[in-house]
Amino acid sequence: MDPLILGAIVAVTTILVLFSGVSVALGLLIVSAGFLIIFDGARSLELIPEILFGKLDNFALLSIPMFIIMGASIASTRAGADLYEALERWLTRVPGGLVISNLGACALFAAMSGSSPATCAAIGKMGIPEMRKRGYPDGVAAGSIAAGGTLGILIPPSVTMIVYGIATETSIGRLFLAGVIPGLLLVALFMAWSLYSTAKSGNTTLLTARSYSWTERFEILPRVIPFIVIIIGVLYAMYGGIATPSETAAVGALLCLLIAVIIYKLWKPVDLWMVLRDSTKESVMILFIIAAAGVFSYMLSSLFITQSIAAWIGTLDVNPWVLMLAVNIFLLIAGFFLPPVAVILMAAPILLPIITTAGFDPIWFAVILTINMEIGLISPPVGLNLYVINGIAPDISLKTILMGSLPFVACMVIAIVLLCFFPGLATWLPDAVMGPRL
Amino acid sequence: MAGQSSATAARTGNNLFLRAVAALSTLAGWCSAAMIVAAVGITCQMIFIRFVLNGSTFWQTEAVIYLAIGATLIGLPYVQRLRGHVNVDLVPLALPKSARFFMAIMTLSLSITMVGVILWYSYEHWHLAYERNWKSDTVWGVRLWIPYLALPVGFGLFLLQLVADLVAVLLKIDQPFGLEDT
Amino acid sequence: ADLRLSHQWSDQDVRHQVAQIVADRVAAADVDLTIRIFGSQSLFKAREQYRPLSRGQLDMTVLPLSYAGGQQPAFNLTLMPGLVKNHDHAARLSASPFMKTLEEKMAEDDVMVLVHGYLAGGFVGADKCITSPEDIAGLQTRAAGKSFEQMLAGAGASIASMSSSEIYNAMQTGVLDAANTSSSSFVSYRIYEQASCYTPAGDVALWFMYQPLLMNKSTFDGLSSDQQNALMTAAAEAEAFYLEEAKKQDASSTEVFRNAGVEIAEMTPEDFEKWRQLAQETSYAAFVAEVPDGQALLDMALAVE
Ligand code: NA
Ligand code: NA
Repeated sequence: MDPLILGAIVAVTTILVLFSGVSVALGLLIVSAGFLIIFDGARSLELIPEILFGKLDNFALLSIPMFIIMGASIASTRAGADLYEALERWLTRVPGGLVISNLGACALFAAMSGSSPATCAAIGKMGIPEMRKRGYPDGVAAGSIAAGGTLGILIPPSVTMIVYGIATETSIGRLFLAGVIPGLLLVALFMAWSLYSTAKSGNTTLLTARSYSWTERFEILPRVIPFIVIIIGVLYAMYGGIATPSETAAVGALLCLLIAVIIYKLWKPVDLWMVLRDSTKESVMILFIIAAAGVFSYMLSSLFITQSIAAWIGTLDVNPWVLMLAVNIFLLIAGFFLPPVAVILMAAPILLPIITTAGFDPIWFAVILTINMEIGLISPPVGLNLYVINGIAPDISLKTILMGSLPFVACMVIAIVLLCFFPGLATWLPDAVMGPRL
Repeated sequence: MAGQSSATAARTGNNLFLRAVAALSTLAGWCSAAMIVAAVGITCQMIFIRFVLNGSTFWQTEAVIYLAIGATLIGLPYVQRLRGHVNVDLVPLALPKSARFFMAIMTLSLSITMVGVILWYSYEHWHLAYERNWKSDTVWGVRLWIPYLALPVGFGLFLLQLVADLVAVLLKIDQPFGLEDT
Repeated sequence: ADLRLSHQWSDQDVRHQVAQIVADRVAAADVDLTIRIFGSQSLFKAREQYRPLSRGQLDMTVLPLSYAGGQQPAFNLTLMPGLVKNHDHAARLSASPFMKTLEEKMAEDDVMVLVHGYLAGGFVGADKCITSPEDIAGLQTRAAGKSFEQMLAGAGASIASMSSSEIYNAMQTGVLDAANTSSSSFVSYRIYEQASCYTPAGDVALWFMYQPLLMNKSTFDGLSSDQQNALMTAAAEAEAFYLEEAKKQDASSTEVFRNAGVEIAEMTPEDFEKWRQLAQETSYAAFVAEVPDGQALLDMALAVE
């Protein structure tokens, strides 16, 4: 059979199987096993345990649980509230101080956590009730946190960047740096929209924040300094020659756990177990998808589908930007339904050759892909962050959260367009810090 | 509610089998978390040895990798119990109750078959490494049956938890896909 | 028939070219045999190729045989410091009774050799030249292969284990002071941008790694005699090419490093003897202790002139 037709059959089958409600990882394994039995014979199933084990046999993957622990340990304290409170006391002259502070806190927290739902939960737990208490519209309160939370995978560290780095053999250090400026750009766009919509809601008192004395401003600093120290320390360790990203992650995890225990008095075994339980749950889920996607890509490669698609795309004579648009639409749709890690692992081996043949930069593309995944996190039908917000504030309807998030989706689309016109937004920082590309 | 159902563990009712499996899965979850913590500790130790003492660090990377693999595989049943394996449950949500019930039975049976097959070949893989005394090709030379043991143990417990989930749905102790009636 | 060949390298690499020659010649022979090459670990990861090969799930691979040293400890002799002196010596070793014994061990795993070949490598230092054992003491070093780790540890180096793709970053950030790997890896990972001194494989070299093109034996036996002949003819041509290219790699890597302004150091025969002495006390001793017929195998290898 022609590998391209076979590829289409695999794609349709995968969609059908995943929509049955089976877990993503097992679904990928079931599809792979089915096609391997048909085309390579039942004996090829004996390779599955080795491939699963082999995909996980990678030191860089270790940083995933570590960066998740960093976020989870801090998220279980009231550190998130401290962060935005401190920002608010210092940003008091900025109009719409509270929502600005919450978004700023999301960005700072994203620099300590590799995952988006954790960022969302950490800031939202205190931030959403506080914003609503002060009269911000529900949609703005919920939407800003849902969107701000997605920064967790764009601002370094980032679990999805690690997975992309491994899947495409791109430097994880560079990928992390590439996310910084686009992350800040998104924060600025989010803030601009929040201010505009708050103003439009007519409640202009919200824009003039309350004032704080210098005593109040300084007394909150000790509660924030540890995080600034962690962020700077981790960055220094990673780019200053102390350790590789994976090793840095372990130091970050240890520091965050210690801060949670010592400063935030998280020493009850039950509380500590909650942190470990949540991190274990998220890490195992992601790592199992990674392993299962390994079997899936073995199947695609063994059936010569990956290679044939790459060759076929090479023969297409289309404008690269049309291609980029098509790729974006594909990623967007995949992101609507699937968790980012699964999309990256299934799409990267097929998309990367397309991207590089068309003359696009894989580091820049990682940022485009990540923003697409961020959109998926706050869009129906499967938007992890929407459900996190729904868990924090059950009395805000899913529809309000969704409508509140939509404008932020527009901000992300604007960011993608800006990145297309100014690729330097993503590539300048990594090149400046780590020297020109290998 | 769609997506990753937030931390509502599978129900066990008063069924002895379900409770026993739940206990096993929880124990596996503790082991998994402990392995992740150990990996954090060993990585920090490695950085200390290398930067402060300028010493050799030939075994740490390998140990940490095996711990992370172990944590993933041994953690599978616990995450299944917490319904932590993400799925797309649009279709089940849209289905009427009876169809949803059969859909759940179908997906669980498929999952059980798949994990059963992996368990079988995992055991074979582990057994071969044990019988032939394969080692990793490093100075440390770990006997590979030790890290490979995580494959049959992890998938074995995973299989048990999946069977328990199927039983719970069949006995109407738990809702199909863990979806509450709305 | 359709055969699948897997390897870990890019399509510019000499080891890919060896595979490509075999595939092309076999196709040209028109004996109803096609070889499909899966490069860059697109099918199996580098270290996961030997087992599928031995079970017939994979038909052919170009593989550093020492990767399978955990399954057949005797294979560790194919990456042993100072055992091979230069490329011509390597070719004589490939045709010796020593290699016949290793091939018997491969046959136990249902594996056979189509193309023999050794590639050489050297050392780089971030701040100074590495020529004799004294130079490496106290340095954070990445070594290619277990027996080299043992020898360098014996010289007082601190061993940091990582893959060759991580050398560049580790040297850039100062995690590593020195590294040892193959000439072609030094070039393909652009290590010359981070090194101050390169000690290439020259008239004498320590680091030789046996990287043959292997095939599943049962699959080979199942082919028609025409197909087998076509394969063997192609393999012979590829082997001659492999030897010539292996020699060129060392010289061209030296050229790349020199052009990048890196100091080029040379290992003297006296240095070589010091390393070999050290290897005998460390890696050779460990090998003999680990492998039941280790001493006999080692003697066979050392007997090759
Ligand atoms: Na982050
Ligand atoms: Na979505």
